[in-house]
Amino acid sequence: MKLFKNLLKSPMFVFGASLFSLVLFAAFVVPFFYDISQVTRVGNPYDAPSGKYLLGLDHLGRDYVVLLLRGLRSSLYVGLLAGVIATVLGTLIGLIAGFKGGLIDDVLSALTNLFVVIPQLVLLILISTSIGESGRSLTLIAVIIGLTGWTWSARSVRAQSSAIKSKDHISLARLNGDGGIRILLVHILPYLFSYVFMVFIILISAGILSESAISMIGLGPVDTQSLGTILNDAKNNGALTDGYWYAFLPATGIIISIALSLYLINTSMDGVFNPRMRK
Amino acid sequence: MKRVSLLKLLAVGALLTGLGFGVVSCDGGGDGGGRAGGGFPRSETLYVGGSQWGDPTTFNPIVEPWLLSWPVNDRFTLMYESLISYNTLDGSFEPGLGTLVSRDVDRVVVDLNPAAKWSDGVRVTSADVRFVFLLGQRFPSAASAFALQFISDVQVEELSDGTERLAFVINKDDRNNPLVVLDLLQAIRIPPAHIFEQLLAEHNNDLRAVQALKLDHSPVISGPYNIEHHNSERIVLKRRDDYWGNDALHGGNMPKPRFIIHPIYKNNDHFATALQQGNLDISQTFVPRIWLRKRDGVHTWFDEAPYHLPGTILFLVINTTKPPLNDVNFRRAMAAAINYTDIKELAVSGYAPEMQPGAIMSHRLEAKYFSQEDADKYGVRYDPEEAKRILAEAGYQSIFRPDGTLDHMLDKDGNRLPTLSIMVPAGWSDFEAAVKIAEKGLRTAGIDARESPVDGGVYWPARPSGNFDILISKIAENVTPSLPWSRFEALMSSRNWAPVGGETPMQENFGRYNNPNSPEYNPRVGQLLGSVPTMTNDDDVRAAYHELNRIFMQDQPAIPLVTIPEQLYQFSDRNWKNWPTSANPYAPPNVPWVGVNTKVLWNLESAR
Amino acid sequence: MLKKYPTIKFISTRAGWYFITLLVAVTLNFTLPRLGPNNPVDIIMGQFGSGLSAHEAQQREERYLMEFGLIRMKGGEIVRDGEGRPIRTSLIEQYGSYVGMLAKGDLGTSFRSSEKVWDIILRALPWTLALQIPTIILGWFIGNLFGAYAAYRRGIFDKALFPMALFLNSFPFFVFGMLLVYAFAILFRWFPPMGGYDLALMPGFSFAFILSAAHHYVLPFLSIFLIGVGGGAIGMRTMGIYELGTDYIKYAKWLGLKESKVLFYVFRNAMLPQITGLALSLGTMVGGALITEMIFSYPGLGMAMLSAIQNQDYAIIQGVTLIITVSVLIANFSVDMFIAFFDPRVKAGIQMGKGG
Repeated sequence: MKLFKNLLKSPMFVFGASLFSLVLFAAFVVPFFYDISQVTRVGNPYDAPSGKYLLGLDHLGRDYVVLLLRGLRSSLYVGLLAGVIATVLGTLIGLIAGFKGGLIDDVLSALTNLFVVIPQLVLLILISTSIGESGRSLTLIAVIIGLTGWTWSARSVRAQSSAIKSKDHISLARLNGDGGIRILLVHILPYLFSYVFMVFIILISAGILSESAISMIGLGPVDTQSLGTILNDAKNNGALTDGYWYAFLPATGIIISIALSLYLINTSMDGVFNPRMRK
Repeated sequence: MKRVSLLKLLAVGALLTGLGFGVVSCDGGGDGGGRAGGGFPRSETLYVGGSQWGDPTTFNPIVEPWLLSWPVNDRFTLMYESLISYNTLDGSFEPGLGTLVSRDVDRVVVDLNPAAKWSDGVRVTSADVRFVFLLGQRFPSAASAFALQFISDVQVEELSDGTERLAFVINKDDRNNPLVVLDLLQAIRIPPAHIFEQLLAEHNNDLRAVQALKLDHSPVISGPYNIEHHNSERIVLKRRDDYWGNDALHGGNMPKPRFIIHPIYKNNDHFATALQQGNLDISQTFVPRIWLRKRDGVHTWFDEAPYHLPGTILFLVINTTKPPLNDVNFRRAMAAAINYTDIKELAVSGYAPEMQPGAIMSHRLEAKYFSQEDADKYGVRYDPEEAKRILAEAGYQSIFRPDGTLDHMLDKDGNRLPTLSIMVPAGWSDFEAAVKIAEKGLRTAGIDARESPVDGGVYWPARPSGNFDILISKIAENVTPSLPWSRFEALMSSRNWAPVGGETPMQENFGRYNNPNSPEYNPRVGQLLGSVPTMTNDDDVRAAYHELNRIFMQDQPAIPLVTIPEQLYQFSDRNWKNWPTSANPYAPPNVPWVGVNTKVLWNLESAR
Repeated sequence: MLKKYPTIKFISTRAGWYFITLLVAVTLNFTLPRLGPNNPVDIIMGQFGSGLSAHEAQQREERYLMEFGLIRMKGGEIVRDGEGRPIRTSLIEQYGSYVGMLAKGDLGTSFRSSEKVWDIILRALPWTLALQIPTIILGWFIGNLFGAYAAYRRGIFDKALFPMALFLNSFPFFVFGMLLVYAFAILFRWFPPMGGYDLALMPGFSFAFILSAAHHYVLPFLSIFLIGVGGGAIGMRTMGIYELGTDYIKYAKWLGLKESKVLFYVFRNAMLPQITGLALSLGTMVGGALITEMIFSYPGLGMAMLSAIQNQDYAIIQGVTLIITVSVLIANFSVDMFIAFFDPRVKAGIQMGKGG
């Protein structure tokens, strides 16, 4: 609780959290007042913003507000799913590697290194190109991003857990005859909890950015709109050349808002939690 | 201290960058004509776009068509020329290396132009023509081998003035199709036999070894431009001032541009941007909203809607073997559910006239075979209520959710039908838009179909194998002398009928319409397709086309969505002017590197 | 015996792990693109359109299968089964020949253009290097400099710089690239929107060409560089604040050393972890920069890869991804070695036999 109060004192946290709340508000509350169930033609290609359609229409004459809200929801979904997968995988691998040490550590670290040095984008491209007709759903893309994006969290968690391992209370637990898994779960994980949460926050943002990246090269989800596919559509349908700013600026703004707000939350939490971790 | 280190940093950065460019600079020498450092003056250079998307590969005219690079690919005639070329505006044949003399059901006769010469000074002779047209007799795997289905021989006769007269003998034992022979005469470009015979001799008569040559260093050609340089960014052609046709075909003049450069951009949008900024003079890419670009000097055939002349039709091809698509009523209900006006306005930027039912265009040269009466009587038009009525009458049931969206369909026996997928190549923005609109209409009418964007890797193999429910495809892409016969052939022919997904793919009739082994087989389709090419009486031809189109509209094996231009034709008059337009139609709306349109190069005027 | 030479042991263990990583990378590289249902021959056959008889189509298909090594051959003849159909090679056989070719330094031939993949890569690589090496290193360096200064100075400079850096760091590269194109190439037309040089020029050591290349370089450079600066500054600022709290800096300040000198110490000591950080994020950065190339139609590996993706040209996709992976691998290995020899903390660890 005290931590939370400290957080509230940080202007960065307040700004970040407000921004993120705003994003969530747009994604989950606004649709109650603004019908987004239908993606349908309401005018001509790239009609300019008007009182009725605040952000104008896309190349198929569809309301950008509807597309962006739907896209935002998809992107949050991708970020969350990819973030959960990557965090769980990374935390598990990092914990075990850091705690067990020895050969297991070597093998797991090598596995982590492997995925660090093979660029994630390369893996995404290789997998995406081979998925056929039925594939490339939003969920599948989120899973792929999650499965390839855990290395960073594994490395960080490993460093943290191997530092904690040698602390006194762990040795005490060992002396008490506690098993490895129990020590991991009861004595180490709670200490890392705030850390893992921060990792999770960053991975959500990374997931959203990865999705937009592969959508931009035409390997995005085919079953729905996402912020990445909206940008890709804008790029492929002449929005840049013809200067239809409303085709790409709002989507860009939303992506940056998500990434920036999560980043701010993470950084401010880092400032609050870390002094304790260091000592 | 701080300042100094920053300066140092910048210096290091500049050095690294410089080094990088140094390396890049070295790379240029490879395939150039030793012009390193020089340039191509804008006032003498024509920038063209849309005919080459990937890295240039080979310029060898006897390799497989899909391997070739501009300007040897497709039917382009800047380097290697065809015998005759087809004017898609008036249906006439204009001379190239030869002149069309006569055609009948037995033979097509062409006189070789006695002035025609290769760039090494050797005369173009019947040996060159026989070489490529009959190459399939020596090498069954030759790219031009398919011509032998249509011609059995090329007979040569020398006229009194020394002109060689060539008779292309129709292969009556095989396809017996003089129409396609006309297609071939303007599509097959003639390579120099004396060069290729020598190459074959040097390579132990191994065709594949000769095909592996790139032939990109001053090859022997007959056309007005030769390859000068190519890399991943562009292909550069240079004018041949001693081109034989300057005197023989163009009154002693030379084409105006000294260089032609084709930049290789990977994105449609880049071509549009370049056109708008005056860095590209003509492009056959899809440039949306052309009316916005007038102020930047970008124009097309017409100055107002529909801007382009229609050239070909975009279809939804239906797999007619799969329930419920094997039910003609279901297919007709589909045709009634799609909003063709939306497709025209949104997917192709309004570049089309109103769509008519059937597979014959009501425009241009085909219009004489089109029957408005039949179209009104047998054709299905957009009418969502009619679509629902046909479905209900045929016993189908659509189950809607409380919010009004479609959930699923039931067949006549009350069984749930699976969702049908409409296959479209992902990233083809105009195709995708058309399918999205079709999907919208189908679902509203209660037909459970969904867009399914796939990579080329799924799309291309699906067509011949028949592994699809519904897919979007251009049928008979080029405006050729054999239209609309070739469109009907591609849509309805059971000549090579093979089951879906079987060992042998089908290169026409992807939807497996009219199975010869089924009780519903309609032999009339095959008879008509077989007889039209040899008909000589115009009334017979018209009657046959009317009948074919009636069968097409009644059976609806595919759904025509919208007409699209044969070649998208957009030009900028900022650097070059006097392009052909509807107001100045001295050539069809097409790019100046194909057939009759090459004469545009002689007619251009510098606008600088 | 190696115990006597801890450094050699350290290097060889590290090298061993990297080699294993390389092997796995090669295998992934081979397997992943082949998970899909189609091979390039099906795609080519699908594009033919009408005009082929069934027999002819079959003949052609066999020929392509043969050229792409997808059917079994014996003494130049196709091996056939009982019904006369060619026997397809198994994935294992294809993998065997793939590794065999790689061992000989052969990346294979493009399925589409029958050009050597090496030639395609060599043509694209200089552009990618010229774009990425200076931008990534310079962005990192200047970012770190700003970060260290912000950490040292705090106050108004920090307050302005830090949010700015965070903002930049939240930008996906390519989106930033798109905005730059919109602003500076479409609206103002100060810089060209795409390409690597003016196509009216021949690449060569001419003033005009280098000037034109530099002009085309600005926007792609900025789009990667500015984001790199943001990332570098954030990391360095955090490290710097930490370093500034250490005793030796307090001591130095107490001694009254010049500001620039203190800053230099902070910078030097915080730099080593930052180098490791750079190495770790290299994969991501290279990936992002490749997309930047695609946005600008910049003639590098990214573009080569994009067209290969569009054409489903396995050989090129595999070749390019392999080159990228190997480069990132080498960069990481070099950083590992660099740290091992220059970071006193790690060095001490090796000497005590804890390395590896």
